[in-house]
Amino acid sequence: MTAATINRGPKTAGQMLISVLKYVLLLMLTVVALVPFVWMVSSSLKTSVDVFSIPMKWIPEEFHWENYLQIWERVPLMAYFKNTAVLAVIVTFMQILTSSFAAYAFAKMNFKGRDFLFMCYIGTIAVPWQVYMVPQFIMMRSVGLYDTIWALVALQSFSAFGVFLMRQFYMGIPNDLSEAARIDGLSEYGIWARIILPLAKPAIATLCIFTFVNTWNDYMGPMIYLTTDLRKTIQVGLRRFIQAYSADYNLIMAASLCSLLPVAVVFLFLQRYFIEGIATTGMKG
Amino acid sequence: MTKSAVNTSRKMGRLERHNTLVAYSFLAPNFIGFVVFTLIPVIFSVVLAFMDWSGGSKITWAGLDNFFYIFKDFSFTKSNLGIALKNTVFYTVATVPLTIACALGLALVLNKAVKGAKFFRAVFFFPYVASLVAICVCWNFLLMKNGPVNQMLNLLGFNMTKSWTSSRDLAIWAIIIVSVWRNAGYYMVMYLAGLQGVPAELYEAATMDGANGWQKFTKVTLPMLTPTTFFVSIMLIISCFKIYDVVAIMTQGGPGRSTKMLVTYIFELSFGGEGIATSAQYGVASAVSMVLLAIVLLVTFVQFRGEKKWVNYM
Amino acid sequence: MKKLLAVMLAVLMVAALAPAMAETTLKVAGWDITTTPYYAAIKAGYEAANPDVVIEWVDLASQDYNIKASTMLAGGDTTDLYCVKELSDMQNWSNEGFLVSMDELIAADGVDMTKYAGMDTCYVNVGDGKQYALPFRADYWVMFYNKDLFDAANVPYPTNDWTWDEYAQIARDVAGATGAYGTHYHTWLSAVANWSVCDGVNTLADGDYEDLKYFYELYQQLEDDGICMTYDELKASGLHYSGAFAQGNVAMMPMGYWYVSTLIGYINDGTADFNWGICAVPHLEGVEAGASFGSPTGIAISAHSANQEAAWDFASWMCSEEGAKVIAETGTRPAYVSEAVAEVMASAAGFPTDETSKAALLPTSIALEWPIGEGVNEIKSIVNEEHSLIMTRELTIDEGIAEMEERAAEFIAK
Repeated sequence: MTAATINRGPKTAGQMLISVLKYVLLLMLTVVALVPFVWMVSSSLKTSVDVFSIPMKWIPEEFHWENYLQIWERVPLMAYFKNTAVLAVIVTFMQILTSSFAAYAFAKMNFKGRDFLFMCYIGTIAVPWQVYMVPQFIMMRSVGLYDTIWALVALQSFSAFGVFLMRQFYMGIPNDLSEAARIDGLSEYGIWARIILPLAKPAIATLCIFTFVNTWNDYMGPMIYLTTDLRKTIQVGLRRFIQAYSADYNLIMAASLCSLLPVAVVFLFLQRYFIEGIATTGMKG
Repeated sequence: MTKSAVNTSRKMGRLERHNTLVAYSFLAPNFIGFVVFTLIPVIFSVVLAFMDWSGGSKITWAGLDNFFYIFKDFSFTKSNLGIALKNTVFYTVATVPLTIACALGLALVLNKAVKGAKFFRAVFFFPYVASLVAICVCWNFLLMKNGPVNQMLNLLGFNMTKSWTSSRDLAIWAIIIVSVWRNAGYYMVMYLAGLQGVPAELYEAATMDGANGWQKFTKVTLPMLTPTTFFVSIMLIISCFKIYDVVAIMTQGGPGRSTKMLVTYIFELSFGGEGIATSAQYGVASAVSMVLLAIVLLVTFVQFRGEKKWVNYM
Repeated sequence: MKKLLAVMLAVLMVAALAPAMAETTLKVAGWDITTTPYYAAIKAGYEAANPDVVIEWVDLASQDYNIKASTMLAGGDTTDLYCVKELSDMQNWSNEGFLVSMDELIAADGVDMTKYAGMDTCYVNVGDGKQYALPFRADYWVMFYNKDLFDAANVPYPTNDWTWDEYAQIARDVAGATGAYGTHYHTWLSAVANWSVCDGVNTLADGDYEDLKYFYELYQQLEDDGICMTYDELKASGLHYSGAFAQGNVAMMPMGYWYVSTLIGYINDGTADFNWGICAVPHLEGVEAGASFGSPTGIAISAHSANQEAAWDFASWMCSEEGAKVIAETGTRPAYVSEAVAEVMASAAGFPTDETSKAALLPTSIALEWPIGEGVNEIKSIVNEEHSLIMTRELTIDEGIAEMEERAAEFIAK
């Protein structure tokens, strides 16, 4: 614990004031962070005419819960949800498997061309996907991956970012551990499986939730790759929803809210791993 | 050289080879996917910058023609590339420090023992995971002419007569606001971790030397946070230069060309856009990509060099 | 006898197997498949006449249609036919060799090209002079109006011969009497200022944009007086014109003919609930009444199609009188023009029964919304970008027009 725990004596008036100010500040920041969501909830329960009424009302006069029933009617939202969930789970699994493996070589082994290869990885993190999406698209098409979720799986499962993230974490694990294991005669695979992986749980959790969230929120990939309506993911689907219901702000907000619920739930349950994970991974550049 | 030394070095050589093979086996699953789906397309797009191609079977060598085309009559107020560059740089220059300031600020407040710190941390982080289309649409509504934000600003005496996204000056700020709002929580977590790593003894020593709060912040906290700041700024600058989806959902590059970013321009050249017929100028688009790539690589290089000089490793 | 039996058996077997063996699936790319009724009608009509063929529509979001279709063609997707949304797309696609040339097929089948009223000529590649698509639909712009609001305001319905000044006055009258919006402009350039091309002389790629000024001024006066919704509001909220008119608080809306079928659908499912009619768009003094602009929608065959023969049969049917009638039944304007088709259009369920609406089915002339040619893509981007600046009032009309002319000059010189 930090400084504040140390001087836990009787507080002076000044300290009290600072602490009060701190909470006021925190509450204000909370408002800023949450206002869009609150507004989303509030609008989703109004009629479309009332959404932009002046002055605006945060609490609707009448709660229109039926909005949440209406959104499923004109556009196959449910299918979008299912597709996105399947995609996110597959991508997350693949990403973790390949990244944690590759990162081990970069972090814990010395071999010819390591730095060069790593620079290639880092370099492509810097290369925006839009730079190479057309050649990539044509390649995917030529192997018959177009308009299937497998195109998106291939697209997102081998990201350099995952390797980078895992490597950063592995770098923080003392080399003594792996050296000692090597002297004990453990193979590199053994070290990876028995020593490094168990220690890297927070990083895996981080990568897991990251990949899940990124896949869930990806807009461009599905837009370019998925054609068949029933194969679309939620982000593209939401855009279609907005076109179909363009005047119904309340329904758009209700559908938007639904689209972020799954991620919110995952976040609520995993946020400890998430935050601890990023913290450890991001700490050392 | 003695016999045993030669032996040892041979042994080392074999060991090294074996070691390299094992390392490659670790890399293989990811690396093959990476090469096929990322590296080859990247190389292809570099080649494409020197080709004339619209996606069909006709592909011809264009030399530097694509670059001449995009740099023709270059100007930050007139030519498409110039405007896209100016907008992207402006967006980056505004977003990076603002995000860092917000992230650091949030982290500092939360780092002190606060009741409910975990709750607040989750709250500040949540915008980062919320689905993009949903929040962009929501912010578009919030920043509308009669939306809540303008209603509030009007109460404060400002005279807001337009939606943010309809104003040449404010549209880019709408995108900056959404970006900062969305990302601050993410980088806050990194700063929180960085702050945890600052040894309490340093603060105690500073207190004994009679340092006040501000001095402790500038003399202890900030220097100890340089590795975090370095990492955060690399990630931020690169992600800023890649900005596309928020623009695509909120302003489509408008009004006029006021939020046209580098990637927006690349996208228009290859796939068209609203009110813009498909142009399928993949060669020209790749030339613009190369400009973007050059900038990003330059930034990365400068930062890697800088890392050696000013980052305080613990 | 044995032989005969064997032959008969063989014939029977072939007959039994034939439909299963010959069944062809044609994949056809279009946009807004689920919300536009004629796609299903075309499918049903063609499949009824050709039981061995299955039509499968590939739905691409309308906003991204050009992007998606181009990427699909570039990627060699096996979709057999593509609806052509933008003329320039067809030019690009045919230049790239993505499409099958139709000249020989047209000659072989003896397709009567005069029935398309000139709307077929824009599907000729400007480079090689070959026909790469046929029009099945030719949407021109008409004025939609809400009869209930006109009745409430006690203002006579608009006719097929009226000027833009009269239109503005009528919009003000209805708005003043009812408190509803007098008119509604969607955010597009085509809804606001494209009218200058109706005279058949001006085009949007001629480098002279002074002719747009009248329409921008007209619009801004109406916007300032609250007669129509503001561009700003529409753009930020993403309000779609279909919803805007269907809400019932808008007296008039100039829109493409395609909105007829959408509106009939809305009336049927209860989304919209009022009486409506159409009439010709207003004209400037000195321009022929009933002149409009529009653009055809065509169907083209992908060079990647594995069933090009079947694809041509479908495409030519879609653009024939028979196909046109099927399309007309859904309230959509087919490209094929004939008395019989017009009759079907007017008798389509849900189409207004008044004489003015019927007469509006026969426009006197249709100018092309955007001409085709070198540099038009660039000019289109430029004009649209400046359009958004004029509409958001970031530039005055004169400044915007001056910028259009200055920026477009480079591409017109070509």
